[in-house]
Amino acid sequence: MSNYSLTKISALEGARHDFDGLSLTEIVDQSLVMMAMPRNKTDKITKALNSSCGLSIPIIGQSGRSDDDSITLWRLQKDQLMVYFPYANDDADNYLKNKFKAPAYYTDQSDTWAMINVSGEESVNVLERICPLNLDLRTFTVGTVSRTVMEHIGTIIYREGRDSFVILTMRSFGISMMHALEVSAKNVL
Amino acid sequence: MTRKALEHSLTCINFDMIINHPLLGPRDSEEFVYLGSADLINRPNWESETAIEDFHEYQYIRENVAGDNVELWYHEQGDQSWLVVTRSTLTHEIKSVELASDYAKNNGRSR
Repeated sequence: MSNYSLTKISALEGARHDFDGLSLTEIVDQSLVMMAMPRNKTDKITKALNSSCGLSIPIIGQSGRSDDDSITLWRLQKDQLMVYFPYANDDADNYLKNKFKAPAYYTDQSDTWAMINVSGEESVNVLERICPLNLDLRTFTVGTVSRTVMEHIGTIIYREGRDSFVILTMRSFGISMMHALEVSAKNVL
Repeated sequence: MTRKALEHSLTCINFDMIINHPLLGPRDSEEFVYLGSADLINRPNWESETAIEDFHEYQYIRENVAGDNVELWYHEQGDQSWLVVTRSTLTHEIKSVELASDYAKNNGRSR
């Protein structure tokens, strides 16, 4: 029997495109785990998150960071959290399960999404052409996260900083999303 | 522009399909899927004497309202919540939006 050894590659193979005032970079050093919260377990999960790393469950549409700033929690909907954190191995779900000790259901989604960082002073100008949400800093504040539709495809958008966004799209759509961002950049800049 | 044409264009301006989601704020209707009348929430009791008539009505009979219509929308490309939206079928004006779970509880359902 052949002895294969598989090496994982990122969705966009580390693509990076630079423009004047804008960078589009694939994010390759972060893992993503979904935490589904069972009914009536919210209190226990809150306590476990707090005692393990100082996290609390954010309100819907907002995010929270751990004490050491390494783990980011995205509250996308009522009974669901996404955990966005730097982790390289293939057992991100078990790693978090052991770390948090919170009674939730963990699913590793790290390689199912293409993750693109849009940064630079022109970010909002480029994104507002293809994102239906109001990205004004007063409405879409730093730390806001949401699912929406971009290029007709379900997308998660997270504002990591004033001029820095994380865009998540399904892995198979990653190249098209990067293309859409490049076209928008060319149209605007 | 004739008076008739002006009236038409005003109708277009008022075409408002932003749904003000109770948890997430204003969202484009493109993110949602329309599922029909909110009557679907009130599933009849199958043990009732009149179950056959009740289910026939539940399944097939719909009011064709010219005015405010209470309907179900699903936030498929968002937080996957079910909403009850009151929309005027004459102007598409969206008059109120609430979570379907709240609507059901307010109308006597236990959950």
